[in-house]
Amino acid sequence: MLRETEETETILKLTDYRVGFRTERGLAKAVDGVSLSLKRGSTLAIVGESGSGKTVLNRGVMGLLGANIIEGGSAEFQGKELVNESRQKFWGIKMAMIFQDPMTSLNPVMKVGKQVSEPLRLHQGMSKKAARERTIELFTLVGIPEPAQRFNEYPHQLSGGMRQRVMISIALAIDPDLLIADEPTTSLDVTVQKYILDLLVEIQSKSDMSMIIITHDLGVARGRADEIMVMYGGRVMEMAPAETLFQSMMHPYTEALFSSIPRLNDPKHTRLKPIEGFPPDIVDGPQGCKFAPRCKYAQDICLTAHPPETIDNGHAYSCFFPVGTDAGIQALESNEARGFTATGLKIKSKSEAI
Amino acid sequence: MPKAVKRFIGLLGLLTIVSMVTFGAMNFLGDPLFNILGPVAADVDNPESLAAIEEAKAQYHLDKSLPERWARWAWDFIRGDFGVQFSSSGQPPVSDLIKERLPRTLELMAVAQLIAVSLAIPWSVLAASRANRRTDKISTITAFAFVSIPSFAMAVILFYFFSVQLDFLPDTYTANDPFWGFSHDHRLIQLILPGFTLGLGSAAAYQRLLRTDMITTLQQDFILMAKSKGVSKRRVLYSHALRPSLFSLITLLAINIGFMIGGSLVVEQFFRIPGIGSAVVEATLREDFPVVLAVVMIVSAGFMVFNYLADYLYTLVDPRVRHEDSSKPRKITSMGM
Repeated sequence: MLRETEETETILKLTDYRVGFRTERGLAKAVDGVSLSLKRGSTLAIVGESGSGKTVLNRGVMGLLGANIIEGGSAEFQGKELVNESRQKFWGIKMAMIFQDPMTSLNPVMKVGKQVSEPLRLHQGMSKKAARERTIELFTLVGIPEPAQRFNEYPHQLSGGMRQRVMISIALAIDPDLLIADEPTTSLDVTVQKYILDLLVEIQSKSDMSMIIITHDLGVARGRADEIMVMYGGRVMEMAPAETLFQSMMHPYTEALFSSIPRLNDPKHTRLKPIEGFPPDIVDGPQGCKFAPRCKYAQDICLTAHPPETIDNGHAYSCFFPVGTDAGIQALESNEARGFTATGLKIKSKSEAI
Repeated sequence: MPKAVKRFIGLLGLLTIVSMVTFGAMNFLGDPLFNILGPVAADVDNPESLAAIEEAKAQYHLDKSLPERWARWAWDFIRGDFGVQFSSSGQPPVSDLIKERLPRTLELMAVAQLIAVSLAIPWSVLAASRANRRTDKISTITAFAFVSIPSFAMAVILFYFFSVQLDFLPDTYTANDPFWGFSHDHRLIQLILPGFTLGLGSAAAYQRLLRTDMITTLQQDFILMAKSKGVSKRRVLYSHALRPSLFSLITLLAINIGFMIGGSLVVEQFFRIPGIGSAVVEATLREDFPVVLAVVMIVSAGFMVFNYLADYLYTLVDPRVRHEDSSKPRKITSMGM
């Protein structure tokens, strides 16, 4: 969480950051002009469906995408430009990452203790013994029972939740300035999800690191992130301080995403509203707004022009017909009246439309 | 019943079947009496010759039925007596012949495998870390060249360059020289050229396999994780990616060692190493069944032992195999034995 008493320095600043993959069909623009700035000690949640570019964005920033990519725009980490530069000097020292699936992201043939103590020995010059002691300390901190015994075990001997705790201990051992958690709880049992998330946030606020949590679940972001960024088709649809976003969603995509997940305080038998259609083709995508083909607000202009970004008191969104505004209400009403949108998406009935 | 005991029984059963089949097959091939007695064996009209034939038949138990002969042979074999050679003198006994020749073949094999593995590992790691780039493509072509050059050609090429032209390695193998040492008068050095002849092809085969497995491993998330921890590229390759990639290599290694025991005959002939390979060539030509049979038994037993060792190696390489419930089917399939 943001500490307001301290002067806040910017850890990560992206300006029109782009990542493309060379494919046989052409350039796949997985990240298509993202700008953001992350302050020391704050948490940003990146939310979006699978294929929205959130993982590529973060692996791109980390420099873990390999050689077959084209990077563009600018990404500054603590004032140093990252684009087209090697990021190896930051790995394991200033940047760390937690991956989605703790089974596949821990080395199956290496003792977990060794995997945690590796960065301690490599970058902090600890002796084998000191690194072992520190690892056991970290295991205790993240709530791994019998830590000394666990040190010598292999990943397959631990449960999913324990493995993710091991992953968090690795991040802790590194004690980075920026921690990127890519869907840290998606593969876990719901009963341990909350524990792991709270643990991450607690550690983050204690050690004053900045954190990016990638998730497709808006609920995960709620209460844990200072800011939320909603991504779709490699672009930022909406970005706002967390509570502002939950109070007033401006982008139809954010609204659709939020309506597609169950909430506890919904009345009984409330139907979830899936978002019709599929994420856009990133090689040969829509001309205008990327979400237009699936949007219930879509008008003719959405097909031809990319909506400019509106910034209103820290709340940024890119839409011609934002939710709740006069333009938006009118657009939705006209689409409902004719039964389909400008892209030909059928709207079933007024009561079911969002 | 413990797994090890079960496997041992299976191994014995298999050896029994192999010996029966070989024993039977060899009998259809020719008349061993000819080798024992010479031309006399064909001279059945002469009573003197006939007497000699009868005597030899009795001496070598050739007058008994096939199953009985097999049983006699097996009983001797278990007690370490591999029988007598089918030659006029019957000397030396097959056991002595094997005892003399087997170590030479095993030494050659050890040198060849050591060369093959120590070439294949860095070669595969290099190729995998540059998958589909120029280095990898060149190494693939090289590997195919090594695999496709037959051992007799490889022997000639290596011999010509390193022994004749460069005069760098010894050209003769002397069975009586000591093994351990680093001069031309030590067998270790004399085995380098034959070792490379056998080893280069194997190294290339191992490289094909290990490279593919390494590439698969390098795409795993835990490799990204290791990188993001700031582990150096070299360390990622050798201490994170290599070990989980070794399975197929171990399997092939076990098969290949078995093949080499029996298949080193060309190399043994070329470099004049009196080992098992040359023994079996000579014996087959002479229809010297007991020798052939003994070699067949050694090769099959070798196959099984090395596969057993390979299974043990799997558990060393991957802790998941070690901790697995033995009642569950295994994911990695060894060759059964």
